[in-house]
Amino acid sequence: MLEVREVVKSFDGRAVVNRVSCEVRPGEIFALLGPNGAGKTTLIRMITDILRPDSGEILLDGHALDGKSRRGIAYLPEERGLYRRVPVIDVLVYYGQLKGLSAHAARAAGLALLERMDLREWAAKQVQTLSKGMQQKVQFCTVLIGEPRLLILDEPFTGLDPLNTQLFEELLAERRAAGSTVLLSTHQMNKVEQLCDRALMINHGRMVLYGSVRDIRRQYAGHAVMLRSDRAPEAIPGVQGVEPLDGEWKLLLEPDATPQAVLRELVERGVTVESFAVAALPLEDVFVKVVREGLGLDHGESGPLTADEPAKGGAR
Amino acid sequence: MRLSWARALIVARREYLTAVRRKAFFFTLIAVPLYFGGVMAIATRGEISGRRESLRALTRLGVVDSSGLYSGATRVIVTRMATDPTSTPEKLETFRTRVEFYPDQASLERALRSEQIPQALVIPADYLETGKLRRYARSSNMFSQGSAVRPIERWLVRNLLADHLDSTRVERAVRPSVAMDLYTLGKDGRFAIKDDRREMLDFMIPFLVAMLLAMCIMVGGQYLLQGLSEEKESRILESLLCALSAEDLLAGKLLGLGAAGFTLVAAWMAAGLALGSPMMAVAQVQLQPELLVLAVAYFLLGYLFYGSLMTGIGAVTNNMREAQQFAMMFSFMNFVPVIVLTSIMAHPDGALAVVLSLLPPTAPTAMMLRLGTPSSSVAPWQIGLSLVLLAGSGWLVLRGAARVFRIGLLMYGKTPSLPEILRWARAGK
Repeated sequence: MLEVREVVKSFDGRAVVNRVSCEVRPGEIFALLGPNGAGKTTLIRMITDILRPDSGEILLDGHALDGKSRRGIAYLPEERGLYRRVPVIDVLVYYGQLKGLSAHAARAAGLALLERMDLREWAAKQVQTLSKGMQQKVQFCTVLIGEPRLLILDEPFTGLDPLNTQLFEELLAERRAAGSTVLLSTHQMNKVEQLCDRALMINHGRMVLYGSVRDIRRQYAGHAVMLRSDRAPEAIPGVQGVEPLDGEWKLLLEPDATPQAVLRELVERGVTVESFAVAALPLEDVFVKVVREGLGLDHGESGPLTADEPAKGGAR
Repeated sequence: MRLSWARALIVARREYLTAVRRKAFFFTLIAVPLYFGGVMAIATRGEISGRRESLRALTRLGVVDSSGLYSGATRVIVTRMATDPTSTPEKLETFRTRVEFYPDQASLERALRSEQIPQALVIPADYLETGKLRRYARSSNMFSQGSAVRPIERWLVRNLLADHLDSTRVERAVRPSVAMDLYTLGKDGRFAIKDDRREMLDFMIPFLVAMLLAMCIMVGGQYLLQGLSEEKESRILESLLCALSAEDLLAGKLLGLGAAGFTLVAAWMAAGLALGSPMMAVAQVQLQPELLVLAVAYFLLGYLFYGSLMTGIGAVTNNMREAQQFAMMFSFMNFVPVIVLTSIMAHPDGALAVVLSLLPPTAPTAMMLRLGTPSSSVAPWQIGLSLVLLAGSGWLVLRGAARVFRIGLLMYGKTPSLPEILRWARAGK
């Protein structure tokens, strides 16, 4: 779907994005993570063709970005706004037309989206008469209109109440089911864990994490499993240490031990296993750890990473 | 430059409709002509009524004649004045002033103080040699009192010569010429009567075209600044720029807002023509088609130049106030030819006029003024060169503006320095 290859962008001699590569697969929700000033917005602006990379390339369905491919991309920036003194439906028709719909089709699509957002009766009202949350929903409609194949969303959930957050999630799921791909940039790590398949994290313009969200979380948790049991397991072969954690036991495994072998031992020794899972660090902890400790991928000599490669940050 | 006309036209349509639907547009459409019309009417009416009041107040004129030249002078001054400049034939109003002689200045001053007379004239003994007179009034208004001078002067001349010349000669001395036609050498090599009224109308059309062009460029530019500042301030641009290129947006804005400015000026022109056409018909004024073609060409190229400039300014500034400060400096260039109007009219083929009509920022207005000045003969190569220079610089400014626009639109908070802007204009994305 989307391929970013060795992309570099500098401003005033400073590389804001430095040799970043990633692949976003069709139909997945892909997270773009990083601390403030990491270069995420610049990378997004290059993906949306607002800025052009100094070197490297960005391909959509194997082709360089052009006017035609641009119509398939919709972007919800973090710093967002709408024409204030314009009726809501006119804003949607305008965006719809820019994405290639006829005025009639754009109007129909706009009204359908407003219906979905429970804003149908506000269609003829000026944007400035809407509350902030309502405006955010209209903004989301401008992204969804024209049924784009790639949605790029920068902090879409900020400022939303739980109901509207749920509504946005449902809409994302619907778009995904319809075949759209989502690139989600957010600092809400719980949303990444909940919604995203894979993630890329950049810091100081360089890639520091790349891979499936599950793998990243597991690798940063170390070689361990989480056990919920009635008692602390003792002297289990392959387990070099046991730590209590949030009502569970974290079993630190020896390098050559596997979770399957440890589970078998636990069952054979008559330990009551209420739950057993490979340990995974919350993504927020991974984020803090990576940024604070300045960890990162070093792909400089080995060429660009592909999505099939495991996250390397945790191996350090 | 990657430009999609389809998307640019969508933007143009939206910008146009948004601009013309605003209350401010309607207000400008109605208020500006009303304002200028009102100011002109008040000024004209004020001047006429001032003169009229002045003559009406001069019911009596006290005279002390120490020279003895006016002992047998007429005791009434009759003045006729056109009180409605728009009426044809002229509508004249007659004012009569009674002349009363006083034996000395003291009695004259007493009469003036007691308001028996509104004004007084003292003719000294040596008047014939020196030509010096003294006029007295209870108060003075610099704008109206002057109207009383000419009737008094005519009374002096008429009565000075009455005993020496016949009445016809006296009348000619008082008013040497009722009409003095001037015959000038025309472009066809023949002397033809110079019709000031016709000539003025002939000049007024290109002058108005030049003024309207300058205003149209200014109004379109203002809309561009306003629209861009609003979009920048409300953070709309980033999501828009994902849907269309900066070039599409720039072209759409230039087209749509230029059309809005043009609509405004065209409406004023139409109203002006409708009101002025009877006068033009009487004077047999005909619009020259080649002049109209050139006016359109200068308008389009001038708008391209200034519109692009305004767009660049709108992109690099953070709000309307800041944008207007920058824009004012450039808008001023557009009006330089109007400021030096008299020099251009006096020497339409002089160095100043030629240079201004070739320089792209001043070319549209200056060339239209030159073409409109009756005594000018603008060489075709100058028109050609002026258009080529304007088109070339317009294209360069457009390209630079598109680059600055693309980068500047997404810059918030800090206004870039001139070297930064120039670097953006050279660099691109």
